[in-house]
Amino acid sequence: MLLEIKELDAGYGYLQILRKVSLNVDKGEYVCIVGPNGAGKSTTMKTIAGLISPMAGSITFNGEEITGLPAYQITQKGIAFVSEEMNLFVNMSVQENLLMGAYIIRDKNVQKERLEFVFDLFPRLAERKTQLAGTMSGGERKMLAIGRGMMSDPTLMLVDEPSFGLAPQLTASVFESLEVLRKTGVTIMLVEQNVTTTLSITDRGYVLENGKVGLEGKSSDLLNDAYVKKVFLGV
Amino acid sequence: METTNTVQSSPAWGTLLGKIGFNPAGILCVFLLMALPFIPPFNQEYLLRWLIYAAFIATLSVGFDFTSGYINIVNFGYAAVAGYGGYTSALLAVNLNISPWIGIFIGGANAAVLGLIIGMISLRLRGIFAACLSWFFGLALMGLATKLVWLTRGPLGLRTPRMFETESNIPFYYLIIVLLILTYVICKMVVNSKMGLAFKAIGQNMDAARTSGINPVFYRVFNFTLSCALAGILGGFYGHYYGILTPEVMHTTKTVEVLAVAYIGGRGSLWGGAVVAFPFIFLMEIIRSTLSHLPGLNLVIYALMLILVMIYYPGGFSHFFDVHIRQSKNKILRILTGNA
Amino acid sequence: MSDNLKDKIAWMKSAKGITILGSIFLALFATINSGPYVLVNTIITGGMLALVSTGLTLMLGVLNIAMFAHGEFFMIGSLSAYYVFTPISNYTAMHPDSFLVTWGPMVAIFTSMVVGAIAGIIAEFLVFRPLRKRAAENWVMNSFLLTVGLSVLLVNLHQLIFGADFKGIVRYWGGMPFSFADVFISRDRVISFCLSAFIVFLFWAFMTYTRTGRAIRAVSQDATGAQIVGINIETIVLMTISLSCALAGVAGGSLLFMYPSYPTMGLEPLYMAWFVVILSGLGNILGAVAGAFMVALLKVVTVEYVGAGWDFVVPSILIMLILIFKPSGIFGSEVRGVLDT
Repeated sequence: MLLEIKELDAGYGYLQILRKVSLNVDKGEYVCIVGPNGAGKSTTMKTIAGLISPMAGSITFNGEEITGLPAYQITQKGIAFVSEEMNLFVNMSVQENLLMGAYIIRDKNVQKERLEFVFDLFPRLAERKTQLAGTMSGGERKMLAIGRGMMSDPTLMLVDEPSFGLAPQLTASVFESLEVLRKTGVTIMLVEQNVTTTLSITDRGYVLENGKVGLEGKSSDLLNDAYVKKVFLGV
Repeated sequence: METTNTVQSSPAWGTLLGKIGFNPAGILCVFLLMALPFIPPFNQEYLLRWLIYAAFIATLSVGFDFTSGYINIVNFGYAAVAGYGGYTSALLAVNLNISPWIGIFIGGANAAVLGLIIGMISLRLRGIFAACLSWFFGLALMGLATKLVWLTRGPLGLRTPRMFETESNIPFYYLIIVLLILTYVICKMVVNSKMGLAFKAIGQNMDAARTSGINPVFYRVFNFTLSCALAGILGGFYGHYYGILTPEVMHTTKTVEVLAVAYIGGRGSLWGGAVVAFPFIFLMEIIRSTLSHLPGLNLVIYALMLILVMIYYPGGFSHFFDVHIRQSKNKILRILTGNA
Repeated sequence: MSDNLKDKIAWMKSAKGITILGSIFLALFATINSGPYVLVNTIITGGMLALVSTGLTLMLGVLNIAMFAHGEFFMIGSLSAYYVFTPISNYTAMHPDSFLVTWGPMVAIFTSMVVGAIAGIIAEFLVFRPLRKRAAENWVMNSFLLTVGLSVLLVNLHQLIFGADFKGIVRYWGGMPFSFADVFISRDRVISFCLSAFIVFLFWAFMTYTRTGRAIRAVSQDATGAQIVGINIETIVLMTISLSCALAGVAGGSLLFMYPSYPTMGLEPLYMAWFVVILSGLGNILGAVAGAFMVALLKVVTVEYVGAGWDFVVPSILIMLILIFKPSGIFGSEVRGVLDT
C-alpha cells in the first residue's frame, strides 16, 4: 500500500468538512475521487499535501506516518501536489518555475535531467522556457503546474481539478498528459468534477459526498453503478 | 434562557440612552468625569492639565476608531489633520481676529475638506496603502507647517488667543469633556444607523460589500470626512487651550499615541479608547514626572502594551469588558452595563 | 530595425521610460546648473536608500509586513557601529600604525550588519511569530500596527538606555579627499558608497542565482506554491527578516560619519524607503535600486532649488500623485496587493 488514509477528519478552523474518510492507493494505480461541489475532495487533497492539518485520523505513506507534517516535509517524502489554483510563481519564467519544482533536489545534474524529462513530456513548455508564468494561457499554466509537480520526481502525484476553467479540447490534452505521466510509472490521485471522463480513464474511484466516502470500487463498475448514474450523470 | 424584566424602571430613558450609545455605567463615568475637578487630588491645576490632555487624546481616539475600527483603514495622518484644523482656527484668530469659538468650527470644516480629499484619493487603494497615503499627506502637511514660516512661524510656534480669558483650567476641562461626549454621540449615532453596517461590510470585505449593493465610494469618503472634521475641531481646541501651536502636533508620534490608546481600548468600540485614555495618560504622566531620570520609560511601557495587546488580546479593553463584565454572573454589573 | 526603434519609442512613452528619462535629464540639468556635487550627493544618498528600501520591499513581498520599524533597524546599526568604533578610534589615536586604522571602520560596519540581523531575528521570535501563530486574519493591518509598536519601543529603549544625545563620529578613515572633476569628495563617502553598492550587488546576485534566494522570491510570489514545492516557509521568513534588517543595519553603520545616532533618526530613512517602495512597486530589487536613486535625486534637487526642509514636502506630494495615478508603481509589473479591487 502506497498511501493509506484512516478515518480522517479535517476542515478549516472550527468548520469540519471531512468525516472519517478512509481511502488507500496502491503503487502504480490511477485513482480518482469524484463527487459534487463542496463534498470535500479538495480538502482531502490539501490535507494529504499537508496544507491543512487534520483534526483526527492518520495518513501513512510508504508505511511511514505523515499525519500532520508540514507541507514541505511531505513534498520531501515524495508526494507532489498540483493544486486547483496552480499556485505558480507568476513573476518567474517557465524554466525557473520548473526549477523551483525541483527545489528538494540539490544535485544540479539531477535537476537538469528532470528538466529535460519534463520538456520531453511537454514540448510546449520547452518552447516557452523564458516566458513569464503569469503571461501564459490557462491550458499552458495547467501544463506547467503538472510539470512543476513532476520535477521533484514524486512517487505519488495529487492532481486537483485539472480541467477546472479549461475549454474542452484543452481538458482533453491535460488528461492526455496525465496518461503520459502514468506510463512513466507515477502513481496518480486525481480529483475531478467531470465524472464520466474521469471514471473512464482511471483504474479505481471513490465517490465523496458531504465529507464521507459514499461508494468505492473499480472505475468501470462505478460508471455503471445505478446510484452514480442517477446522481452524477442524470441518467 | 432567563429573561428577567424586573429592573426595567424607565424603558424610554433606557432606549434613548442606548440610541446615543450609553448604558448606566457610561452615565456613571460621565458623572465621575464631571465631578473629578472637585475631588482631591484632581483639584490641583497640574493634574487638571493632565486630565485635559487625556480627554483630548480620548476624543481623538474616538474619531480615529471611527475610521480604523469600522472601515479598517488606519488614518496615519490623523494628528496632522487635527493640526491642520488647529492652524486654520489659530490663523483666523491671529490674522482676522475671528473668535476661537467660531474658528474651531471653521477649522473643523477645513479639516473636513481635507478628509474629503484624502478619502477620495485613497479610495482605490488597499488598506495598508491608504494608510501610507494618509501618512505621506500628514508628513507633507507637517513639512508645510514647518516651512511656511511667514504664515505659521514654523517651529517657533504660533501664539494663539485662548478660548477663556482665565488662568484656571476648569472651563477648558468642561469644554473638552463636552467635546468628548459630543464626538462619541455623533460617531455612535452614525455607526448605529444603517451606515454603521455598511462601514463594517466595507471594512471586512470590499468585494462582498460591493456585490451586495453598497457603494463604497460614498461610505468611505463620508467616513473620512466626518472623522477628519472632528479631528479639526479638536485641533482647534488644542491650539486655543495651550495658546501655542507648533508643527510638532502634526508629528507621526502624536498619531501613534492616539492609535495606541484606540487599539488598547478596543477597536471598533469607540468608547474603549475614550475610557482607557484617562488611566493610561495618567500612568504615563506619573511615570514621566516621578522617574524623570529615566526618559522614555513611559513610552517603552506604552509600546510594550500596544505590542502585547496586538498579539495576545486583539479585542482590547472593550472585548475584556464585554466578556467579563457585561456578561458577568454578577447581576449588579449586568444592570450597570445595560445588559439586564 | 524600424521595429526596434518603435519598441524604443514605446518604452520611452511608458511610465517607466518617462520616469527614467526624466530623472536622467533632471540629474544632468542640476549637475550642469549647480555643479557636480548634486550628482555626488544623489549617488551617496541613493546608495544608502537602496540598502534600506531593498530590505523594506523584501519584508513587504515575502512576509507581507508593511514595516514601520525599518528605520529603527537603521538606528540600531548606527548605534552599534558607534559603540564599536569609538574604542577603536581611541585606540588608533594612540597607535597610529595599528592595522585597525584601515580595518577598524570595516569591523564597525560589519558589526552593524550582524547586530541588525540579530535584532531582526529577535523581533521575529518575540513579535511576529507569536502574532502569526495567534491569528492569520487581517494580517497586513495587524502586523503593520505591531511594527508601529515596535518602532516606538525601539526608539524609546534607545533613549532610555543610551540617552537622547547625538552619538556621532567625526570620520571613519579620513585622509585626503578624492577629487573628481573639480569636486572634492571625502574618502569616507566614496568608500561607504562603494560598500553599499557592493552589498546591494551581492544581495541581488544572492536573490537571483542562489537556491535560497530563489526560494525567497518564490515565497513572495506564492506562499502556498512555495510550500508545495518543498520550501520551509518558517526558515525563509527568518532568513528574510534577518537579511532585510541586516541591510538596514549596515546602511546605518556605514553612514555613521554623516548621520550621528539618536533615537528618532530612523524616521527619515523610513519614509524615504517607503517612497522608494511605492515608486518602484513591490518585490522588485532592481526596481528598488533605481527608485532609490530617483528618490535621492528628488531630495537633493529639492534641497538645492526649493530649500532645505522642503525635502519631504515635494517628494511626499509626488509620491501621493504616483499612488493616485499609478498605484502599482513605476516598475511594478504586477498590480497585486496595492489596489482594493
